[in-house]
Amino acid sequence: MPAYFAARPRALQAGRHFSVCDSPSARIRITPLARRERVDPSVPHQDETEERLRPLMIRSLEGDPGAHRQLLGVLGRYLRGYFARRIGAAAAEVEDLVQETLLAVHLKRDSYDRSLPFTPWAYALARYKLIDHLRRRSRSIQVPLEDAGALFAAEDAEERALRTDLERLLQRLPDRQRSLIEDVKLQGLSVEEAAHKRGVTAVSARVMLHRSLKWLSQAIRDENI
Amino acid sequence: MRTSDLIEILALDVRPTPPGAVNRKLLTALVAGGLVTFAIVALWLRCQPLLAAAHQSWFWMKAAYTGLLTVAAAVTVRRLSVPGSRIGLAPFAAALVILVMLALGVGQILSATQAGRLALWLGHTWKICSPLILLLAMPIYACLIAAIRGLAPTRPALTGAAAGLAAGALAASLYGLHCPEQAAAFVATWYTLGIGAATALGAITGSRLLRW
Repeated sequence: MPAYFAARPRALQAGRHFSVCDSPSARIRITPLARRERVDPSVPHQDETEERLRPLMIRSLEGDPGAHRQLLGVLGRYLRGYFARRIGAAAAEVEDLVQETLLAVHLKRDSYDRSLPFTPWAYALARYKLIDHLRRRSRSIQVPLEDAGALFAAEDAEERALRTDLERLLQRLPDRQRSLIEDVKLQGLSVEEAAHKRGVTAVSARVMLHRSLKWLSQAIRDENI
Repeated sequence: MRTSDLIEILALDVRPTPPGAVNRKLLTALVAGGLVTFAIVALWLRCQPLLAAAHQSWFWMKAAYTGLLTVAAAVTVRRLSVPGSRIGLAPFAAALVILVMLALGVGQILSATQAGRLALWLGHTWKICSPLILLLAMPIYACLIAAIRGLAPTRPALTGAAAGLAAGALAASLYGLHCPEQAAAFVATWYTLGIGAATALGAITGSRLLRW
């Protein structure tokens, strides 16, 4: 019998052995890939992360800006650690990738299904952005598919230097959109106040802001090659 | 701009989203595209006498084939558009539906007399059937792609292919309102070819259109 036939029943037996030994209440975890064992710290509190972040995401979807800010803050710290472990802590693109992924998390919120766990969704977005980044730099890449623990292994709160400054990208926006962002960012105005100042309705200011962010997400992606 | 500044700006762009946005976006796209395609079928190609056709088993055979395929493909699109969700069995269901249809077609050809085989297989409209299905799939495909771009497919080419399959299958369902062909062998070949062409087009264009 060829070796590859002989190998399969053994693997099946090992799997059965694993599930029988575990108590029914214990969660069966897929063995981490070799790469992850090497790079990521162990993840003792992944379920806790889920319990902490999912309610934040749901409140953010219900329109709570505070929850949204908090969620993106926590995610940013995890993303920084994840990208730094994957492309090297010294790589110039780590912070750019963090910002690009946060923009994606913000703009793609509609694709989150509230009946599903949050951490795998966030991990899938981060992994996609990582693959996209690597693919555009070199032709062949390998990013193993792991569980969400790869992303939520460790936080990294220290912001790094950026290669692409969003401020510079914003200069390319039409005047009205740029001045709106400057008003809310530099002067700390609310969208309504900024709209009033520029003589547009609050609704159109909101649309303008959303469009600018969409544009920014595309621009930062084109820039980060 | 510091990351914390960016987060402050993003927090200003928060609006409540009702649950079920994914299903609503995709269903709206299927309905909108389907209405355009239905209008083309009804106004340009013209429907066959539907009351008479509804009493025929071949009419329902075609409807079941393309209808089941539409559902399986739409579920696949839905799964692929939501990051982190399992793709599940829907693609296998689609493959099974196609295999059953091919088996029916082959069975019909094998049980037919030698002389009748070619007529069964080619019908009267084999030349225009596949191109028409591909053409009719376009409005549905365009609507689906526009909807998926608002979601987050992490596998653009595969998602494009699934969207093409869904568009092709729904277009074929609507084309069935016009098409008077009755043979399983005809449907298994020329319908499947048209749907397959839409799938291939979806795979090719999806890898470009669905990046984010």
